[in-house]
Amino acid sequence: MSKLSSPGDLSALRRTLVAARDPNKPGLVVCAGTACQASGSSQIVLAAKKHLLERNLLKRVSLRVTGCHGFCEMGPFVLTQPQNAFYAQVKAGDVPRLIDALLAGTYVEELLYRDPSTGVRYRNRDEIPFFKQQQRAVLGSNEKIDPTRIWDCIANDGYLGLERALGHVDRSWVVEEVKRSGLRGRGGAGFPTGRKWELLAERKDRAAKVLVCNADEGDPGAYMDRSILEGNPHSIIEGMLIGAYGTGATQGFVYVRDEYPIAIRHLEIALDQAREVGLLGQDILGAGFSFDIKVAKGAGAFVCGEETALIRSIEGKVGEPRQRPPFPVERGVWGQPTAINNVETWANVPIIFRLGAEAYAKVGTKNNAGTKVFSLVGKIKNTGLVEIPLGVSIGDVVMKIGGGSPSGAKIKAVQTGGPSGGCIPASRFDLSIDYESLGAAGSIMGSGGMIVMDENTCMVDVAKYFMNFLRSESCGKCLTCRKGTQRMHEILEDIASGKGTLAHIDLLEELAQVVKDTTMCGLGQTAANPVLSTLRYYRHEYERHVVDKRCDAFVCEELVGAPCQSACPVGTEAWRYVALLEQGKLEEAYKVIRASNPFPSICARVCDRKCEQRCRLGASGEKPVAVRALKRFVVDRVDPSCYRPPVRLRVADQKVASVAVVGAGPAGLTAANELALFGHRVTVFEADDHPGGMLLSAIPPYRLPRDVLQKEIDAILKNVEVKCGARLGRDLTIDELLAEGYQAVFLAMGAHRSARLGLSGEDVAGVISSLDFLRAFNLDRRVLARGRVGIVGGGNSAVDAARVALRCDGVESVTLLYRRTRQEMPAYAEEIEAAIEEGVQLQTLVSPVALASREAKLTGVRCIKNTLGDFDGSGRRKPVPIAGSEFDLDLDTLIVATGETPDIDYLPDMAVPVDKAGRLVADVATGATRRPGVFCGGDVLSGPNTVIDAIAAGQRAARAIHRYVQGQDTREVAEPRRPSVYVPAPGGNGADGAMPRLHHRLQPLDVRKSSFVEAELGPTEEEARREARRCLRCDLKFTQPAQAAKEEQR
Amino acid sequence: MALRELKMAESIAPVADTMEPQSIERLIEENAQAPAALIAILQAIQREHGYLSAAALREVSRATGRPLVDVYGVATFYRAFSLHPRGKHVVSACLGTACHVRGAHAVVGEIERQLGIRAGGTTEDREFSLETVNCLGACALGPVVVIDGHYVSKVGKEKVRPLLDDARRGRVGGRNDGEATSLSLVAHCSHCRASLMDPDHPFDGLPSIRLAMKGPGATGWWRISSRYGSNKRETNSTAPRGTVLSVYCTHCGEDLSDGWKCPACRAPLVSLGVGELARLRVCPRLGCDGHMLDVAS
Repeated sequence: MSKLSSPGDLSALRRTLVAARDPNKPGLVVCAGTACQASGSSQIVLAAKKHLLERNLLKRVSLRVTGCHGFCEMGPFVLTQPQNAFYAQVKAGDVPRLIDALLAGTYVEELLYRDPSTGVRYRNRDEIPFFKQQQRAVLGSNEKIDPTRIWDCIANDGYLGLERALGHVDRSWVVEEVKRSGLRGRGGAGFPTGRKWELLAERKDRAAKVLVCNADEGDPGAYMDRSILEGNPHSIIEGMLIGAYGTGATQGFVYVRDEYPIAIRHLEIALDQAREVGLLGQDILGAGFSFDIKVAKGAGAFVCGEETALIRSIEGKVGEPRQRPPFPVERGVWGQPTAINNVETWANVPIIFRLGAEAYAKVGTKNNAGTKVFSLVGKIKNTGLVEIPLGVSIGDVVMKIGGGSPSGAKIKAVQTGGPSGGCIPASRFDLSIDYESLGAAGSIMGSGGMIVMDENTCMVDVAKYFMNFLRSESCGKCLTCRKGTQRMHEILEDIASGKGTLAHIDLLEELAQVVKDTTMCGLGQTAANPVLSTLRYYRHEYERHVVDKRCDAFVCEELVGAPCQSACPVGTEAWRYVALLEQGKLEEAYKVIRASNPFPSICARVCDRKCEQRCRLGASGEKPVAVRALKRFVVDRVDPSCYRPPVRLRVADQKVASVAVVGAGPAGLTAANELALFGHRVTVFEADDHPGGMLLSAIPPYRLPRDVLQKEIDAILKNVEVKCGARLGRDLTIDELLAEGYQAVFLAMGAHRSARLGLSGEDVAGVISSLDFLRAFNLDRRVLARGRVGIVGGGNSAVDAARVALRCDGVESVTLLYRRTRQEMPAYAEEIEAAIEEGVQLQTLVSPVALASREAKLTGVRCIKNTLGDFDGSGRRKPVPIAGSEFDLDLDTLIVATGETPDIDYLPDMAVPVDKAGRLVADVATGATRRPGVFCGGDVLSGPNTVIDAIAAGQRAARAIHRYVQGQDTREVAEPRRPSVYVPAPGGNGADGAMPRLHHRLQPLDVRKSSFVEAELGPTEEEARREARRCLRCDLKFTQPAQAAKEEQR
Repeated sequence: MALRELKMAESIAPVADTMEPQSIERLIEENAQAPAALIAILQAIQREHGYLSAAALREVSRATGRPLVDVYGVATFYRAFSLHPRGKHVVSACLGTACHVRGAHAVVGEIERQLGIRAGGTTEDREFSLETVNCLGACALGPVVVIDGHYVSKVGKEKVRPLLDDARRGRVGGRNDGEATSLSLVAHCSHCRASLMDPDHPFDGLPSIRLAMKGPGATGWWRISSRYGSNKRETNSTAPRGTVLSVYCTHCGEDLSDGWKCPACRAPLVSLGVGELARLRVCPRLGCDGHMLDVAS
């Protein structure tokens, strides 16, 4: 290769290269960035080479292997040209088909990228929401260039900026141009780049001037610098050349992390090639300036991102920062004047000179010109690198580009700026992304990490994580940084492990302020940010940790213990009975289940399974252990009489009281049972003719067989007295109960008032609530539905009503109408699936808008179609009606299942206050109302809720009532619930979570559709034991060390 | 001074030092001109031997003229250096923020439990070392674990045991996409276009590619596999590893380098014609397996 000796040579070479290309030649582009390589892109490249060689297609199809395109989530992918089709998550075996389609000018539809939220497939990459909302000035070049070929780069306007800069003999123009562009440092602090260059250009030292590219991308969670270096190293070289020309620097360094081997390799190849063509070295392009660049490799020290530490590291020393001034511009590498800019800053320089400063400055906002690359990672659907003009809102990046939450969990915050930055809560997602706004919100721009956090991210843990990071990365020079970060970490550890108090939080805050004010370098000065910003926005989470000893995100292990156990409202040791089942010890397993729950057989059928929702197997992409099915296996096989309640030692002066319980549903019966076990005399007053509450009136027998239900209710009735047909407000009052000698009253009447649609004509015959419908059927076998039946709602009550209606004589068809999509339905997924299988028609994205009737009888309903709009407060997308999409549905019955509220209008008259919204005012932890001696719990307090929550409320209230009648404080001191009993792991060393989850079997369809026998069949012994072996045994972490110590003693 | 040095040395390496002094000398020489020479030298030793022994640190101190305390200071300041020999398999778990919020700590906890060591430690049988790194820059794929240089993405607790089992059997990263990526090449001289295939000496069940070579003190042959991705190479040269051979066409005797350099070691590559347009380039440095199949020329 001959050397280029003038800017004219360079532009002639570019013209030749461009002319030799056919822009319409079909081509494949494959990303081989680090992320895509980890996903297998090298196999895609190999498969493409094989096909092209074997079919002799090289003349007709080109193949380009490039750096990162940004959509790392979808790797490995193939981009075709000129079609611009984006094939995501491709396998090697797909490649021949893609090439054949490309040559035929067609598409392989099923491999095209499909938006997971809308289901839409895109033929044009630029229409994909992830790309459409971006402006990829820096990253956009990557797909056009094979980073190991300088010709590719030159043909795509590489070194054009340099050519333009060299056109100005007056070098100060170059510096002025950068100043005019408004470019600010992309490393995080945002210092104006042009000003920095000007300071360097003004130096008149004898010593040679130095430029440094800071590629020590130490900020965990940010990887844009890596992608630029890997994908377009020439943009860095060009930026530094322009800088050298403008400032008179003669020596350049790229200080790059040793953890980035591909980046180093591509950079070294690029430097070699640039030297060969005369773009580095002596008298570059005959313009009378000389410059060369060396690579210095870092060895893993976060503090080396600080410029004075970086300088010392380049010199081969320990990377400790030093006091500034003197600034690097005065005394830098080996004492020479030095300007240090970050990778992304250098990559922006050629763009400024290609477009002109004026055009460059038009992008972004007034004091924040240009684009910025962010690594959008964490709890987000579309992870990857995104580039946006400064000034775009955080919400647009997270929701429109990022696509929102991948799991449906609510997004809570984004963390920007890495360990020096802070968290910005979702409530402030309208914030514009610029240096000043982020600073004002308590964070910083930083190098561009944007880590999305959802409700399963604990903010105390995030602060602890960063403090651990900073503690180990503090160079140790300043006492307040060295010791301050250590102490803050210790305080956070105490809080996260349940040892914290409210005083810990105050101390932490004070210490954070001291560290901020009294350290020398940027690391120390910003080290308190993770603490201060989480305290600012999430103090309540800290308080939950120290007061209630709960980590609601289920992250802090010492508070969570085994997640199945701490997720269970009654604290069932699920891990323990699963382990015992695996060993075949069913009776022991039953005792574990029964010890915390008086209704084990009921919960084995209808529980909403919080244990499974929090199972660590589910959290890591596998399916959770089928805990409920295992419970069913145990309870169906063990005689309940094996369980003997614990004998409570009666304290000598314990007071025995009479307690009245109002309502014989799960909450009331549980409380009554617990109080009886404490030794109190309990009477339960029930409005209906039979005890059971919603268990009896709302849950259909095919889900909960009546003999199973009755057996467990009967067991409780042995200990307590029940008076049926006694309704509070009609047959009795609280005053009367207290006058009769009851020392305490527990209100557990449930929630029985059905919500209405709010449409005119709702009172006609044929419109009923799901509760009335289910109650009439379950209690009296009366069928209130006939003909064509419609049901409005998406919860379990709606699905129950649908499946019951389907089984009833006189019903022709059943249609379920729901306003969002199936994914958003609150009903259990397997119930929905069973309903559809049985013949229920599901219409989603529809809402009723009017009712039609003739002679006071329903004849039909008018519906409107919805589309999903923006995300609402619940993290779900709002249903938005489509104008003009109304349609009519002929119906004889409309069952309304849109929720219930407690029916408690009479309570204020009994001196039990309710709030403006008609809800009971009570302490959730104890159920204590404002009236002394009166407690409440279950649906009457919480609104419609699950069986297990009602049981837990009954237990909490019983303990509170017991303490109340003893004259003690009703509140308990919270303690974390950790596994304490050692059960050996199967087969030595743990679980096989990668096995497929147990498949639930149902009765044959024809049996189900025509009868009310229990629909779900329990697992077989083999199935159950195999499923039990999938458990990851989170308990062992807590019980194994103690056990090992015990065994050692022996 | 002598006593202090001895104490420091004891704290550095409790086990027998197996590094050869010649290799340390060579690595020092190769990296002496790098900008951050001391760091570059230590990185090179660490890369080749897996850790920095006391003797190696002393030799670096002697050769560079930097006091041993400085060398020791640098070696302990930066995370990348280890003063202890590491296990046969190195497991690096990323603890970057993105991996962390996706549960990386639970994964590390599970690896620690399975191996019975803490992060930073090595198993007694020297099979495994577990390390944590601040960020590997593969944030989109978190939690990421790198085992023996192979990235494994989206690692959950349940994947830990199978992964360690695979590592023991040397199977991590052993991707096999079967037929779709199995490629055999027919090479010719890019000057005289004569075939270089040698059916009499098959490698990997295929005819090998035969070339002429000239190395220090010997001339003869150099044979490489025609199965792409196979690094099987043979020569009659007895030159030590690291020697760069000069390679020629067996028919016309032309030098086969074409200006491209090895992506791994920067030696000039040997370039062979494949089909009408493609080029197979292979690194002629003994011990280097750098190669590229260029279809874009």
